[in-house]
Amino acid sequence: MRVLKITAMAALLLMAASVAFAGPTYDRVMSTKVLKAGISNQGIPFGFINDKNEWVGFDVDMATEIAKRLGANLEKVVVNNNTRISFVQTNPPKVDMVLSNMTHKRVRDEKIDFSITYFFDGQKFLAKKGAVKNVADLANMKVGSMQGTTSIVNATEYLKSLGNAAPKVTGYDGEVAMFEALRSGRVQAITTDSTILLGYAAKVPGQFELVGEFISDEPYGIGLPQDDSAWRDAINFTVQDMWKDGTYMTIYNKWFGPDSAYPFPMTSKIEMWP
Amino acid sequence: MFKRHFQNPWVQNLTLLTLVGLVVYYFTFAFEFKYDFDWAVFFVEGQYGHMGHLMVTGLNTTLTITFYSAIIALVMGTIFGLARLSNFKPVYWFATCYVELFRNTPLLIQLFFWNFALPYAFPEEIRFWLFDHNFEFWCAVVGCGVFTGAFMAEIIRAGIQSIPKGLLEASYSSGLTFPQTLRKIVLPLAFREIIPPLGSEFLNNMKNTSLAMTIGVTELFWSMQEVLSLTYRTFESFIVATAIYLLLSLIIAAFMNIVNEKLKIMPQDKKTMLRGLADVLFKPFGIIGRGLEYVLWYFRRSPEKKTVSPITRMCHTLTCWTVKGGKALFLVALAYVLYMLGVALFHFNYEIIWANLPALLIWRFPGGDSTEFFMGLGGLSGSLLMALISITGSFFIGLIIGMGRTAKSHVLRIPCTLYIELVRGVPLILVILWFYQVVLQFVFKLEIHAFWAGTIALTFFFGAYIAETVRGGIENIPPGQVEAAKASGLTYFQTMRKIILPQALKQMLPALVGMFIAAFKDTALVYIIGVMDLTRAAYAINNRVMIYPFEIYTTVIVLYFIFSYVMSLYAKRLERKLSPEQVRIEM
Repeated sequence: MRVLKITAMAALLLMAASVAFAGPTYDRVMSTKVLKAGISNQGIPFGFINDKNEWVGFDVDMATEIAKRLGANLEKVVVNNNTRISFVQTNPPKVDMVLSNMTHKRVRDEKIDFSITYFFDGQKFLAKKGAVKNVADLANMKVGSMQGTTSIVNATEYLKSLGNAAPKVTGYDGEVAMFEALRSGRVQAITTDSTILLGYAAKVPGQFELVGEFISDEPYGIGLPQDDSAWRDAINFTVQDMWKDGTYMTIYNKWFGPDSAYPFPMTSKIEMWP
Repeated sequence: MFKRHFQNPWVQNLTLLTLVGLVVYYFTFAFEFKYDFDWAVFFVEGQYGHMGHLMVTGLNTTLTITFYSAIIALVMGTIFGLARLSNFKPVYWFATCYVELFRNTPLLIQLFFWNFALPYAFPEEIRFWLFDHNFEFWCAVVGCGVFTGAFMAEIIRAGIQSIPKGLLEASYSSGLTFPQTLRKIVLPLAFREIIPPLGSEFLNNMKNTSLAMTIGVTELFWSMQEVLSLTYRTFESFIVATAIYLLLSLIIAAFMNIVNEKLKIMPQDKKTMLRGLADVLFKPFGIIGRGLEYVLWYFRRSPEKKTVSPITRMCHTLTCWTVKGGKALFLVALAYVLYMLGVALFHFNYEIIWANLPALLIWRFPGGDSTEFFMGLGGLSGSLLMALISITGSFFIGLIIGMGRTAKSHVLRIPCTLYIELVRGVPLILVILWFYQVVLQFVFKLEIHAFWAGTIALTFFFGAYIAETVRGGIENIPPGQVEAAKASGLTYFQTMRKIILPQALKQMLPALVGMFIAAFKDTALVYIIGVMDLTRAAYAINNRVMIYPFEIYTTVIVLYFIFSYVMSLYAKRLERKLSPEQVRIEM
């Protein structure tokens, strides 16, 4: 008897738990005043832990500003390259938006929605100073990249186009491992979005340099839950407002301006709707 | 009356069936899944290549690492297990250091250390040579092998020590020589003791290879993550990876079962089917063994010829000297290693360690944000807290499941067995991901901090292990006591509460402390979901400092070691206190 009772209770509990509240993101953020943002914590300079053990970076500042403008409290959730999509993809989403140096791609847009581009980057190669005289040198080098990013695919394609039929591209678990592979010499070049490379190259000034052209366009978008246009509008308008009143450039210059550790001149403009 | 009906097998089976039906009904009709499965991702070539091939390549690497590292582990385990019984103290100390150091630190940190810090110990040419030869892969192989070897060494030592002294005395006094005693008495008996735990170590080793992913080896878990991040198919990739790991575990377990069956002593007329199969499978070994026996018998010396000729004496002294020389060489090598260690430690950048120690111990506590876990608590204290909570929780799960596992009723026993076997067949790192990304989110619709998700996953995982400990404890109680309790009119729960559990728990205490150590070490794996435990803190600091990986990883290893070792010493003391009749033999 007891066993049955307990089973019945457990079944009931499960039923009750499944009828949880799941509404559109905009309404939820506005009513609870909590904005959950997925941010990486190991990507210098977008989201990383600084020497005071604080979680800072360009993405963190952007998220903070967006939350402030929407009048909500920001709750930061750690994401990595493998979880940044699935956290907004689940229903209900685990986070309301993801800022994690994520490129807006059509395949990704089939699963989640994206805001307008809030950062412009491209993929490049980083190698020891003087190791690459000519771009064609890259073809036969061992190259490291990051697991869970499309950088590996891009790099493999690029090396193939340079004339190496079977390029050696290893995907490491995160930026740190990737840079460490370059530093210790187990790969001769690493490749991912150029700003990230700059961030790590600045750790040991003068030893590494960016080589070659941008091999891909990497427009970063804020990852948002699929089919929630009220929420997407709110984010897009906020980003445009930030651009209009100059807050965006203030944040940009803080991280990428001429006086910053990783100078990266602004070359593009955010999409502005009249 | 109800109880009596419930003892009917068909009633039990019907209940089980109904339960299964309910679960199936719930998940197919009542539960809102909101997810479309698309298994085609594994069969169709997509934009980023063929995901099925990716998984197969991963599986291949996993199998290779498992195979090589199992061999390394067995060799290391045998050598160091014997060395732990050595009378020559330096060898004994060295072996003890190896066993304690590797058993009491997490494999994840060991792999980080081998992969990130060790190459810097070599001159550049050797380093580049290493990197040219698939360094990450061999790093994972040797790392897993050396780690598992430490556990195997203890099992092998315990197996040899478990042979009663009286048996040895009897064998010597009946005229058997030392090799004969070893072959006929010690090894068969020791093997019988060793095989089951050794089998579970092989299983653990297979599961542990999933950590090779963290250093960039493209094994199964890596492939799973790659599929996940390229196709965004969470469920499909998780399910496939879990199924493969379960299948591998099942195969290993089945193989170990057959070996175990072969070693069992059973009368000819009561042979089981399995034994028949085992006999057939091991026939070649038997033939080789008998052949060797014959050869050895042929070459044996009769006792009359055992006079010592000058040449034999010379050989004897020569061996004596060789052994002495070997010992001296070993001492010199040991001294050199110690010297190098001393030099390395002397050249450490202690400022870096000192500056980052508070962060490693408590992370940002109490200066953290409001959204962080408990004012930014993390690092070592976070790991300890997580281990404490999850072991407390899993103790209760383990108690219930372990009792259910020993129950006579199918309705209780089968689900409990299923839980134990399923959980034990999957790598913890996968269990953590399941909980963080699927179970809590989809099934329970819970929005909780990664710390709690990790704690719940650990609780669930160690629940299965503790359940096995509980079962062992319960089954150790003589059945006469249960019968006596039944005869005196106690119910099942009364018997459990008043007679069995008090004794069983006392016996289980050392094992539980061991489990706590395991949980504490395994908190390292929650780094994957971003919990700021000791490992993640070290990772973050290394991310920032970059150029002192040796210092940071050594500090972390020392921190893990201190706590685990103190606990394991405590466990040993408990064990000694609780079983005074333990006798130690020397060989």
